[in-house]
Amino acid sequence: MKILVGIDVQPVDEVEASIRNFGGRYSRRLFTDHELESCGENPLTAATGLAARFAAKEAVLKILDTRETVPSWKAIEVRRAEGGQPEIVLSGEASELARQQRVEQMSLSLSHGGGIATAVVVAQVAEGQSGASR
Amino acid sequence: MSDVDETIRHVLEEHGRLPVSVATLDDDEDLYENGLTSHASVNVMLALEDAFALEFPDALLRKGTFESVGAIRRALESLGAVVTPG
Repeated sequence: MKILVGIDVQPVDEVEASIRNFGGRYSRRLFTDHELESCGENPLTAATGLAARFAAKEAVLKILDTRETVPSWKAIEVRRAEGGQPEIVLSGEASELARQQRVEQMSLSLSHGGGIATAVVVAQVAEGQSGASR
Repeated sequence: MSDVDETIRHVLEEHGRLPVSVATLDDDEDLYENGLTSHASVNVMLALEDAFALEFPDALLRKGTFESVGAIRRALESLGAVVTPG
């Protein structure tokens, strides 16, 4: 078993500016309905949650081998498990890439403070795959 | 410089959050190596859609589409982009 780690940070004010400039076009292009519902309708508080989710998507992309195929943003989804902890759910091309790389499980941690949202993803990968942490 | 190129560079200046002036970059200079982040590239994409009155299809929503001024121009040309007033 190999462990791969992806990490990313996202300034919250950049997400706020994007919501201000592009509104729903921005949100709907990047985030699933579930993610948008999870972050609420208040743009100020929603921006922090969305920034963390964007960081999570980027963190996953640092684990997957995207040299030939880059999954769409919404193919990497942050969901809330029953216990409240966040988890990664892959679909489409992201799911296929993970299968090809023999990614068996991903764990996600989100945090924010000082205007920065961050995400760390730890992936368990079966031996014999070609992916690498970047 | 064509109207399309001028509009691309204007959008990059406004939304690319690059630490360098876009005017100093050649057409094929790598924007990511010059500080374009993934999040900023999304803003660039949305601003280009407004400027050219089009929508990037999913097939073009990948890093390579926005890696240089030239790459953006080629993507826009493939979509039949024309500069709209205003």
